[in-house]
Amino acid sequence: MLTLYHWEPNANSGKPMLALAEKGVAYESRYTDLLRFDQHQPEYLKINPDGTIPTLVHDDKVFTESTPIMEYVDEAFDGPPLRPQDPVRRWQMRWWMRFFDSYFAPSLSMIGWSVFVGPAVRDRDRKELEAAIDRIPLEARRIAWRKAMFNQFSEAELTESRRRVLFATGVLERHLSSQPWIAGDSYSLGDINGFNLGYALPLSQPEHCNDQKTPYIMEWLRKIYERPATQATWTKGRTALTSRVTFLKRQS
Amino acid sequence: MLELYHWEPNTFFLKALVTLKEARAEFTSRYFDPTTFAQFTPDFPRNVESALQLEREGPLLVKDGTVISSSFFLCEYVAEAFPQAGLLPAAAYDRYRTRAWGQYLALQLGPGVCALGCVKYLAPLLARRSKAELSAQLARIEPIERRNAWSALIDGSYDAAGIAAILERLKAPVKRIEEALGRSAWLAGASYSIADIDAYAMLSVLPDLAPELASAAATPRISKFLQTVGQRPAVREALAMSRTGKPHEAFVPGVEPSRWG
Repeated sequence: MLTLYHWEPNANSGKPMLALAEKGVAYESRYTDLLRFDQHQPEYLKINPDGTIPTLVHDDKVFTESTPIMEYVDEAFDGPPLRPQDPVRRWQMRWWMRFFDSYFAPSLSMIGWSVFVGPAVRDRDRKELEAAIDRIPLEARRIAWRKAMFNQFSEAELTESRRRVLFATGVLERHLSSQPWIAGDSYSLGDINGFNLGYALPLSQPEHCNDQKTPYIMEWLRKIYERPATQATWTKGRTALTSRVTFLKRQS
Repeated sequence: MLELYHWEPNTFFLKALVTLKEARAEFTSRYFDPTTFAQFTPDFPRNVESALQLEREGPLLVKDGTVISSSFFLCEYVAEAFPQAGLLPAAAYDRYRTRAWGQYLALQLGPGVCALGCVKYLAPLLARRSKAELSAQLARIEPIERRNAWSALIDGSYDAAGIAAILERLKAPVKRIEEALGRSAWLAGASYSIADIDAYAMLSVLPDLAPELASAAATPRISKFLQTVGQRPAVREALAMSRTGKPHEAFVPGVEPSRWG
């Protein structure tokens, strides 16, 4: 029995969704609405006390960290391998996933939360929102939600995030100019991770990520977009956030 | 051929040394002192990943010219390249737990431990140096995040309120580890793994840095864990590589805390 609790095919939720699709593994999909705080409801907290999304449940085992979940999916199920055989290349894949997870994504998502998640919930009743924050188990997530809901990101924080996004985009472009995929010659979890982070970069950062300035990133995103697993996964999206992915369709 | 660029056997450097010793991997030790900024000189091994140093400072393993950085992933590389050492659990679920711990320790425990160690030992050491010379050395460090991690130690960024906040933040990871050690002998299950090596390397300094957080009374399971791991031959051999005789005082800036608060 395999069940995945996930939100949109985007960021952390999209990582195991796309990895499972690439492996050809069927799973029960439980859409967990981040914007309705489904992940902080008591029934969800019984499964994942941290109240984070995604959560994978495989028989009696529970998995809550999206990047290690992807490695588990690759190890535990048949299907095409999604990690290089060579230990040095595996190290490279993991380094880049950490770069995406701990450097690139927090900056990009700070901008994303300030323009998408925050405004999507902000017009609700203030008391209701405060109560929703109080139900969040992790202090770090309470702080993050408070900032997003009430637009408390300082201009200095957002400026630093924009600087980091621009810097990381340049680092990624140079990396992809030297090899076709994140970990070398073969498609891997590193690319799945990177796509979930960056599929909308050309739309959110049009002046920095485009065919002229970052041709290697654009080609890399389009190649991943065209994969059948990506097509199948992004149809599970329900919001305007993920429908942006069609921007990557090649113009004939 | 493996070469390990490392400093004193503490925190990030200790992890790498213990893992190589546990694996019985032959390697050439390249000792350097990061407080002299040798790691920024042109002849130091470097690639895109090591220059960015997500951990800010740490060991580098050079394998036939490839520079492997980021201490937990370096340990995972060694564990996979020397599978006979059994440093990754056999079951896929336990390997997931090993990796989840590696991520958790790096992001939740590492930043606070390194900051406390730097405030106690590295900042006074830097304060004794010529301010002008030090400032000039720091000004040359790229990228800016790495430079800022050093600058914070001399510009008063760590005031009493900041240190109190670090101690507060460390409570959750310490509690989580203490609880986990009550459920199984090792962090990722029944077998010793690189998750335990990582935890040992970061926790073993905590009774000195923050006895209110980690002690025989406050965290009995962690205390026992530190004793048990500390007696392993690989750990003893790694600690014996100290040149100063005070490895537990050797700190470098670590992973930055989450920018989200």
